[in-house]
Amino acid sequence: MNVEITDLTRRFGRNQAVAGVSLQAGPGVFGLLGPNGAGKTTLLRMMATVIPPTTGRLRLLDRDPGAYGPRREVRRRLGYLPQNLGYYPGFTVAEFVEYFALLKEMPAARVPAAVATAVERVDLGGMARAKLRTLSGGMLRRVGIAQAIVNEPELLLLDEPTAGLDPEQRVRFRALLREFGQRATVVVSTHLVEDVGAACSQVALMDQGKVVFDGTPGELTARGTEQGTGDAPLERGYTAVLAAARA
Amino acid sequence: MTATSAPAAPRATVARRAAGSVILGSGRLLRLELRHNAMLWLLPVAFALFWYNGYREIMALPPMWNLRAMTLQNRLLFDLMVPATAAAAWMGSREGRRGITELVTGTARPRWSRQLATWGATTAWAEVGCLACVAVVYLITARQASWGGPLWWPAVVSAAGVPALTAIGFAAGAWFPGRFVTPLVTVVVFFGLAFGTQAASGDHAYWQVSPLIAGAFDIGAAPGVASFYPYLPDLSIAQVMFAAGLAVAILGALGIPVARMRWLAAAVTAAGLAAAGTAVALAGTGRLDPHGMIAIPALHDAAAGQPVRYTPACNRSPIPICVHPAYAGFLPAVATAVGSELTEFAGLPGAPARISQVAPVYQQEPGNGINVSAHVSGASQFIVPDPLPGQPGGTSDQFAANLAQGLGLQLASHVILGGTGRAAIPGPGQAGLAVIAGSVRFPPSVEARDLAPLYGSLLPQPGSPAAQAARRFAALSPAARHAWLAAHLAALRAGRVTLAQLP
Repeated sequence: MNVEITDLTRRFGRNQAVAGVSLQAGPGVFGLLGPNGAGKTTLLRMMATVIPPTTGRLRLLDRDPGAYGPRREVRRRLGYLPQNLGYYPGFTVAEFVEYFALLKEMPAARVPAAVATAVERVDLGGMARAKLRTLSGGMLRRVGIAQAIVNEPELLLLDEPTAGLDPEQRVRFRALLREFGQRATVVVSTHLVEDVGAACSQVALMDQGKVVFDGTPGELTARGTEQGTGDAPLERGYTAVLAAARA
Repeated sequence: MTATSAPAAPRATVARRAAGSVILGSGRLLRLELRHNAMLWLLPVAFALFWYNGYREIMALPPMWNLRAMTLQNRLLFDLMVPATAAAAWMGSREGRRGITELVTGTARPRWSRQLATWGATTAWAEVGCLACVAVVYLITARQASWGGPLWWPAVVSAAGVPALTAIGFAAGAWFPGRFVTPLVTVVVFFGLAFGTQAASGDHAYWQVSPLIAGAFDIGAAPGVASFYPYLPDLSIAQVMFAAGLAVAILGALGIPVARMRWLAAAVTAAGLAAAGTAVALAGTGRLDPHGMIAIPALHDAAAGQPVRYTPACNRSPIPICVHPAYAGFLPAVATAVGSELTEFAGLPGAPARISQVAPVYQQEPGNGINVSAHVSGASQFIVPDPLPGQPGGTSDQFAANLAQGLGLQLASHVILGGTGRAAIPGPGQAGLAVIAGSVRFPPSVEARDLAPLYGSLLPQPGSPAAQAARRFAALSPAARHAWLAAHLAALRAGRVTLAQLP
C-alpha cells in the first residue's frame, strides 16, 4: 500500500480538523469527497508532508514521513498540487516546472526532458516560454498540475485540481489521472463528484474530520438509490451518506 | 579480495554520478535564481547611487591609489547597501509573499539549501555590482596614477561586506515575509551602518570593525598613509572576519528550524558569531601606528613596517625638490608655491642642495585627535601638506598657502637664521624677521594675522617697522633678493643689519 493511515488526527488550536481517519490506498485514483471544512485539505497536507499529524500513524510509500530521511525520500517521489497555488509571476511555464523538478531533486540530466513532457501533458507545450503572469487561471492550474507530475510521482496528491479548468481540459485531465493511476497512487480532493465518478477507482467521503464512507464510486452511487438528493446518481449517494452521517 | 572489491567500483561510480547530479542540479537552480533575481533589476540603481555619491567624489581625488582605494571602501558599501539589502529582503520574503511556501515545503530539497540558492544568486549579482564599481575606479586610477598599484584590501573588505548585507536583508525577509519588511530592514540597516561609523572614536574603538571604515577613522583617506609604508591589512582582516562571520551566523540561523540540520546550523551560527565577535575584540585592540594605519597586535606582521622602496620624482628648480613618486603630479604645484624662495636662497650658505619629501608621522591624541608631524632635519626635508588639491576641503590656493607656511618659512628661517631653525631662535633680530617675512610669498588669501598664532616669533607684528621693511624687501625680485642676501647674509645673521639698511 502506498498510503496507510491509521487513526490520524490533526488539531489547529481548539479546532480538530481531522479526527481519527484511517485509510489505505494502493495504485489507482482515490477520490476524496466532502463538504467545505470536512478536513480533506488538512488530510491532504499531512499526506504531502507539509504539516505533521497531531496523533496517529501515517506511512507513505512504505516509509514513515515523521523521520527526516524517509520524509525526504517520500518527497522525491511525491507530487502535490495545493488548493491555492502560489507562483512566481516572472517565471515562464517551463522555468516554474523546472524549478520544482530541481527542488524535488530529480537527476539533473533528466530534468529538461521531464519538464518538456510534463508541460506537454497539460497541453501547455505552446506556452512553455510564456510568463506565468500572462496566463489565465485555468492555465495556471495546469501549470500547477505540471509541476506536480514532473517527477513521475508514485504518490500524487491533488487538491481541487479541476477548479478553473474548462470542460475540454477537465476531460483530458481525467484521462491523465487514469493514466497515472495505472502505476501510482493518485489522491484527488474535490467537490466535483462527476470527476470522482469518471476517474476514481476508490472514493472516501469525509465530514467533520472523519471518513464517513470508504468504497468504490459504484458503492457510493448505490447508497443514493433510495433517499439521496441530486441530479446525478453519484450526487444522490453523496448526499445520502452525508445525511446518514449527520443523523 | 576480488569478491569484496568487485562491487565497490560500481558503488563509487554511482556515488560520483549522484554527486555530479547534485552539483548540476544546484547549478541549474542557481541559474534559475540568477535569471529571476531582484538584485539584477536593482543593479542600475546601485550603479546610479555609486556614480552620484561615490564615483564623482573618488574621481575628484588626486590619482593616488591610497586615497582612491580607501575612499572607495568608505563609499562603495554604503552606496550598495540600499539596493543590496532591499533586493535580498525582497527575495527572502518571496515565498511568503507569493503564497508558495506550502508548495515548496513538500519538496525534497531542504529549505536551507533552497534559501541559500536564492541568497547566493542575490549576493552574486550584488558582488557583480560591487566588483564592477571597483574595476571602473581601479582601471581609471591605473591610467592616472603616477606610482604604485591597486590596494586590494579595501576592495576585499567591500566585497566581503556585500554578503553580510544580503544575509541581513534575506534573513529579515525570510523570517518576516511581507511587503513592508523590505523598506523597514533597508532603513534600519542604512541608519545602523551610517551611525555605526560615527561611534568610532580613537584607535581603540570597537566600531572600527565596520567595513565602511578604511584606516584610522579620524584621518580617513590621507595621502601620507600607505605611500611611504605598505598598507597595513590588520584592520581589513578584522573587518573581513567580522563581515564573513556575520553572514555565516545569519545564514546558519536560517537553517536552525530544519530538523535534521539543526545542530549543523547551530554550529555554523556559533562559528559565525565567534568569528564576528573575535573580529570586534581585535578591532578594539588596534592602535594607530606612526605611519597612519591601524595596527592590531594579534594580526600584525612586523615585516610590514619596512618602508616602501621608491625612486623619488625630482624637478630642476634652483634647489631641486624631490617628492615621493605618488605625489609626482603635485611637484609642479610645490615648485610654483615656493619657486621664489628656491630662487632666492639657492646657493646661499646653509641652503640645502636638495629638498626631499619625508613621510608624515601620525600620533593618536586623546579622544578623536590625531597629531600629524614630520621628523624633519633641517631645510632639506619637508612634508607635503594635507589636504591636497582635489581632496575634500583642499584647493590649490590652500595647498600653496600651506606650502608657504611650511616649506617656504622653513627654508627662509633656516637660511636667514643660520640653520638653527625657528624653534631655537630665542630672539632673532628685527632685520632677520623682516627678511624672512619678505622672502616667504604667502598667497593673498593668507593674512598676517592668520599666521601670527603659528609663526608669531618669526613674523613681525603687522604695522611695525619690521613689517614695513618686509614689504619693501618682498617688492624686490627673487634674483635681487638673492643678490642682496649673497652679500649681506653673514651680517644679517650676526645682527649687524638694521631695518633701515634693508633694500
